[in-house]
Amino acid sequence: MAMRHLITGQGNCAPDGASSSNPFGNLANAIFGQSSKAQSIKELPGSAVNVPTTSELGTAAPLSTIPGSENEFKQDQLPLARGADFIRGGPSHDWVESFRPPGLPEFAVPDAQLKEFEQIFNSTGPTFGPPVMDGPPQRVLSGVLRSFLASGQAGVPFQPVPVPALGLSESDKQCIRDRSCIMARHILADQPEEYIQAQVNTLLHSLDIDSNYRMKGPMHGPYPEMEEYWNQSQSAMRSGPMHNAADKWITEFGKQNNNPEEWAHSFEQQYGSNGWASEFEQHQSQMAMTGGMNMANLAAMEQSRMLAQTLASNNDPKFQNSKFFQFVSKMSRGELIIEDNQVKQGSASQSSGWADEFQTQYNANANSWADQFVHEEMSQGADKWASEFSTEYNQGGLNENWIDEFSKMRVDDEWAEEFSGGTFGESSADPWVDEFQNQLSASKQNSGASRGVYVFSDMNPYVGHPNPMQEGQELFRKGLLSEAVLALEAEVLKNPDNAEGWRLLGVTHAENDDDQQAIAAMMRAQEADPTNLEVLLALGVSHTNELEQGEALRYLHRWLQNHPKYGGIAPPQPTDSPYGPDVIRLFNEAAQMSPEDADVHIVLGVLYNLSREYDKAIAAFKTALQLKPQDYSLWNKLGATQANSIQSADAILAYQQALDLKPNYVRAWANMGISYANQGLYEDSIRYYVRAVAMNPKADNAWQYLRISLSNASRADMIAACDSRNLDVLQKEFPL
Amino acid sequence: MEGSNLKSAALLEQLRVHLASGAGKELVEKIGFVYQLNISPKKLAFDEEVFVVDLKKGVVSKGPYEGKPDATFSFTDDDFLAISSGKLNPQMAFIMGKLKIKGSISAAQKFTPDIFPKPSKL
Repeated sequence: MAMRHLITGQGNCAPDGASSSNPFGNLANAIFGQSSKAQSIKELPGSAVNVPTTSELGTAAPLSTIPGSENEFKQDQLPLARGADFIRGGPSHDWVESFRPPGLPEFAVPDAQLKEFEQIFNSTGPTFGPPVMDGPPQRVLSGVLRSFLASGQAGVPFQPVPVPALGLSESDKQCIRDRSCIMARHILADQPEEYIQAQVNTLLHSLDIDSNYRMKGPMHGPYPEMEEYWNQSQSAMRSGPMHNAADKWITEFGKQNNNPEEWAHSFEQQYGSNGWASEFEQHQSQMAMTGGMNMANLAAMEQSRMLAQTLASNNDPKFQNSKFFQFVSKMSRGELIIEDNQVKQGSASQSSGWADEFQTQYNANANSWADQFVHEEMSQGADKWASEFSTEYNQGGLNENWIDEFSKMRVDDEWAEEFSGGTFGESSADPWVDEFQNQLSASKQNSGASRGVYVFSDMNPYVGHPNPMQEGQELFRKGLLSEAVLALEAEVLKNPDNAEGWRLLGVTHAENDDDQQAIAAMMRAQEADPTNLEVLLALGVSHTNELEQGEALRYLHRWLQNHPKYGGIAPPQPTDSPYGPDVIRLFNEAAQMSPEDADVHIVLGVLYNLSREYDKAIAAFKTALQLKPQDYSLWNKLGATQANSIQSADAILAYQQALDLKPNYVRAWANMGISYANQGLYEDSIRYYVRAVAMNPKADNAWQYLRISLSNASRADMIAACDSRNLDVLQKEFPL
Repeated sequence: MEGSNLKSAALLEQLRVHLASGAGKELVEKIGFVYQLNISPKKLAFDEEVFVVDLKKGVVSKGPYEGKPDATFSFTDDDFLAISSGKLNPQMAFIMGKLKIKGSISAAQKFTPDIFPKPSKL
């Protein structure tokens, strides 16, 4: 019953009142509609209906058995019944057949329904009478539909067939499209959705029907809920989900199957050929480098440790707390490392007490150190030395002695005092690090600058001066030596071959107590004027001051050779290493020739200084002073000779004469300090040193001597000012 | 010191005169050690000349010490002058390898620039 209603419902797919160019299509719809009404009417009278059914039953049987041949037969025999034949043999009838599986016997219920259905069609047929039907269109359409159904049942894909234009209206096309979709889904329920769609599209294409045509509205039926249930059942029966799951599983399996190769390829890309071997080699290289570096540091630490142990044998508490000692201790423990001329914080930096740690190391390594020394030296001297060390160590425990000395607060060790900075208990080693770095820098600079090369000042304000030579001479005469140096440097920069400029520059440096620069300037002057007697004498004097005996003799001998009056006395051939006594003898001859020549006596005085015959030197300078009593440099030479012959008191008197003549004579001021210091009068010497460095802050010798005197005078509080060259503090503390 | 071309010899001669004149009496009282100095012209431990500064007796002599000195120092000529003039710190010289020391440590620590009189400049 439900099937019949569903079938009849499809008949209403066309909208009511729609015009149609095909009268038979319209007829079919009308018949379906009236068929429903007829059924309602006939159901009420029971007996009248049974009589026509019996006559039709015989006809239905052969139709079911051989549908095609039956239709052919009826068409030939009953021309007027073509309409009925079309209706009975149409898609509806075959569609009903599709619900009965082939090969299975007919059921009673289907037969009953079939008979009723056939009765409806046959009863309505005669009602319309003999309509005139166009045979070819119906026949063609029927054939196409039968082929479609047959192919569906047989499982063979439907082949497109060329069909002539049937002149179907849009409503007819829509009706066929909808019914085809529904019937195809019934027939091909076990096929994928795509297959069903393909078959339907092929059929519609053959009939020239657009498969993409959209319905004008939702499909209407007397039982919408039935339609919904049907769709749901179709969805449930569909094997899409399972298919999708299977596809996913297959894809995943494929991916997994590829994993081994992919993993191997990834490994190769990451590590490359022999990747592991390369990595191992790199690791080994790093280990070797680290080991090498550690070995170097360990060697340095070992040396520092040995030094620290040596220094630790001094039990004076001042030394134990001195900055130098702690500096060495830190080096021995690896807290400070010297690399590339720099003191760096070692990786083994520690904050534990240095005394305890050093004590531990000392106790642990003392014997091994002594044994190592014996092993390295392998000599009797080494054995004795090691024994002495052991004896010193055994004389008293380091710890006990150190504590005792600390308690007693001894203060008589000058060395410890100097390096502890005078502040007892000061434990910082940083200043020592700074000093060490400064020493390294200074050493590097010294090695860079070769000797005998003049070093010009920076930012000379006299460069560009119109007449720096005249300015330099004026400044020299006024006694402003440092300013004169700048002006004269500007002159020789402007005129490098000016011998007089270089000579005066050298004299100025000598008076400013800088023999290094004096020698360099005089060498340039000597190049410009090789026979200048003043230059040769100045060079002789400066080299004497630098304790360079050979060079001094050479220059003084050339003085004699180049002298217009005494040149004949000297041997004609030049001698590179003249013999001191011979030169002195020659100058004595010259002195006898010209007793009134002060220069000869001056040179003799310098020569006697070289030979350390100070009494004769003093006599020579005194003779020269009788001839030139206003020569302040001569007074200084006399004083220096007296000082070097340990007559410091007399020297001071001579220096005073020189300073009276030239108050800014820096060399004389420095010499005064030296004479007081050599007599042990350190307090007095400090004042003169401060005066000298105040006039010429570049007088390095004076700065060094000042430091020594401060230390000896127990003025350690001023050593810092001396190291930083703080002139204001020093001048205020030590006025003159 | 006669017969030596070292610059240090001039300074040591001055020290000899200094000690002989009685001005160095304080040094003998303050230090009282015997130092042997091995001074080489340019390179350490090559062509060394040996001097002895005996601050027990207050004499300076040339040649090795008969007996055992309290401390023995090795320098080059220039380094010795730098140390005696205060230009170079003895401890720094030791660390930098410019100075080698053997013997008593306490004696070595007393070896300071104070010992040497400063030369005056002509």
